[in-house]
Amino acid sequence: MIERILILLLFLVGFSGILARKNIIKKIFGLTLINSAAVLLFVVEGSRVGSQAPIMEQGISQVVDPIPQALMLTAIVIGVCVTALALALAFRLYQAAGSFDIDEIRRRVHDES
Amino acid sequence: MSLEDMVFLPVVLPLLGAALALCAKVFLTGRASRILEYTGVFIGLGLPWLFFVYITPMMYAGQAVSGVIGAWHTGVGIMYRFDGLAYLVNILGFSVAAAAWVYALGAGPKGPSFSSVFLIQTASLAAAIMTADLFNLFVCLEVLGIASYVLIASSDKPGAALASFSYLMVSATAMVFFLLGLYGLYRLTGVLSYEGIASALNQLPDAGGPVALVSLSLIVAAVAMRVAVMPLYGWLPDAHALAPHAISAVLSGVLIKTPLFALSRVLMLMPAGASAGQLMGYAGAVTALAAVVIALSQKDAKRLLAYHSISQIGYIVSAWGAAIQVGTTTGAGVVLMAAAFMHAFYHALFKGLLFLSIGTTVDRAGERNVYVLRGAGRILRAHGERFPVTLICFLIGALSISAIPPLNGYASKAAISYALKGTPHYYLLFAASIGTVASFIKLSRIFWPTPKGSAAVLDDVPAAIPWPIHLSQIFLGLLCVIGGLAAPALFAFVLRLISAGGADVAISLKFYSSGTMIKTLIITASGVLLFLGAITPKGSALLKRVRERRRDFEGLFVSFALGTAALAGWLLL
Repeated sequence: MIERILILLLFLVGFSGILARKNIIKKIFGLTLINSAAVLLFVVEGSRVGSQAPIMEQGISQVVDPIPQALMLTAIVIGVCVTALALALAFRLYQAAGSFDIDEIRRRVHDES
Repeated sequence: MSLEDMVFLPVVLPLLGAALALCAKVFLTGRASRILEYTGVFIGLGLPWLFFVYITPMMYAGQAVSGVIGAWHTGVGIMYRFDGLAYLVNILGFSVAAAAWVYALGAGPKGPSFSSVFLIQTASLAAAIMTADLFNLFVCLEVLGIASYVLIASSDKPGAALASFSYLMVSATAMVFFLLGLYGLYRLTGVLSYEGIASALNQLPDAGGPVALVSLSLIVAAVAMRVAVMPLYGWLPDAHALAPHAISAVLSGVLIKTPLFALSRVLMLMPAGASAGQLMGYAGAVTALAAVVIALSQKDAKRLLAYHSISQIGYIVSAWGAAIQVGTTTGAGVVLMAAAFMHAFYHALFKGLLFLSIGTTVDRAGERNVYVLRGAGRILRAHGERFPVTLICFLIGALSISAIPPLNGYASKAAISYALKGTPHYYLLFAASIGTVASFIKLSRIFWPTPKGSAAVLDDVPAAIPWPIHLSQIFLGLLCVIGGLAAPALFAFVLRLISAGGADVAISLKFYSSGTMIKTLIITASGVLLFLGAITPKGSALLKRVRERRRDFEGLFVSFALGTAALAGWLLL
């Protein structure tokens, strides 16, 4: 149970980062955090049925459910891509507006257009 | 090559083309690079048409190809299903994508990296519509999203990066909620394919109870955000208005519809899918009306078109939701789903055409404000357009979206109102049509002639409009006209494909009867009156308040949370 509560806390920290922080870098960190929380949730879910890594060799029994792990590898890759792209966009926004503050950026962009 | 392998061609060929375009960027320069890039694009956007032509008779006979990717066994592998719906959505996607790519050749952005991302986007569209595995749908939607964030940000306008960033943040967050919904369903059922989840849920007591319903609403809300149904539309106007014109055409024409039709596969199988579809249908009808009011208030030409995309997707979602509600195995459901697809297809054509022709015009005029820009016809003529192609294309698009016969928008709206007759949606959509007419009268004012001499003065002889721009506009314009004239035959074809070649659905729809003509007249006349009302001081003050309502970054997330909560509440109660 404790691991699920910790995952929930991690998720909430990330989500509040996306919503309440003005700094876009912190927003991106928030996104990474909620993504990691979802990944951990799946991995914990897979470990309900066993405890050993699902590498089929002799003497290995009681493996965890391998499907959530396979899914989460994909989800991690996607998460890295999204984070990298978001950081690249943040860099462009900083070049254009000279600030990481979302309100400030919005104001600058509106002035220019 | 077996049929089971061939159905992957619409996914694999664009990916191969993308790889070639990327090689062209990395290893070659100059002429050789361009040749390799164009070869890649031809492979990606042209060759799939051979496959579509080849498979048409089989689709018409109601055949569907399904199986497990890579011949894994069913519990582990990824299920796919290529049926009539997947075929139709592919046709929609590839025709608009081809026109948009040709347009980009003339108007930018161009170059191998653009082509490469564009082809990846097309491939993920084809993959999203044929997958039958929930996690695979997540991957396809994410790839689709990443490609579109890059394409939106490829515009050099200062707002484009911000629009792309806002879209990325809200969409990526929504996809994490999609994962949580997926987690809930996997925990209950232990499988990921649509059919597996649905049959496992049906065996559970109470069909999985609240956990299944909350999980489903997380998934539906995440996809609905991509589709931009109210209240989850906030990211769309900026993204579509600030993207390069060719990308706007694809975003509006194809990208917001593919997730919707992909979702219909999930909802048609799920136990709670019908009531989720019902709520989506109501949301769609409200969206159609609310978005058109906001569209009428806009002053930026492309932003006005973007709000119209939301409004038109509302039409599609209301027919689509009603189809899910009654089930697509019934005759009424098939007609509704076919009407929804017809409008999705025709909207892709005319909205693509509108984005391209308005894009050409505002680029040449250097002005996007519909209250300021006048005499655009003369500006285009000064750019060497002797025969007013762009003006005519704009008119075809504007008359189509205002549902004037015999253009395609008229036919698909007639199909939707036939299918939805007698429901509350019908009246909301009727009111929305009036608003559409009014706002397109407003938009077409940019072409109103100005008194001689007061038009924008061009100091030097401007460059002529490149031919790819004209070619793509003429292509979409022709498809709009043909789509309108051949609507009865096409509608019968779509009906047959959606019903999987099954028993002929009895419909008494006459596209060009006196009743529908009178209705068109009423709508057009009310539209003119509404436009006249909107330009009175009172009307414009009201519209100004609508236009300048508060919109911020946090609002995107609040509306997402509210939408999800509303859906979950609806399903639970």
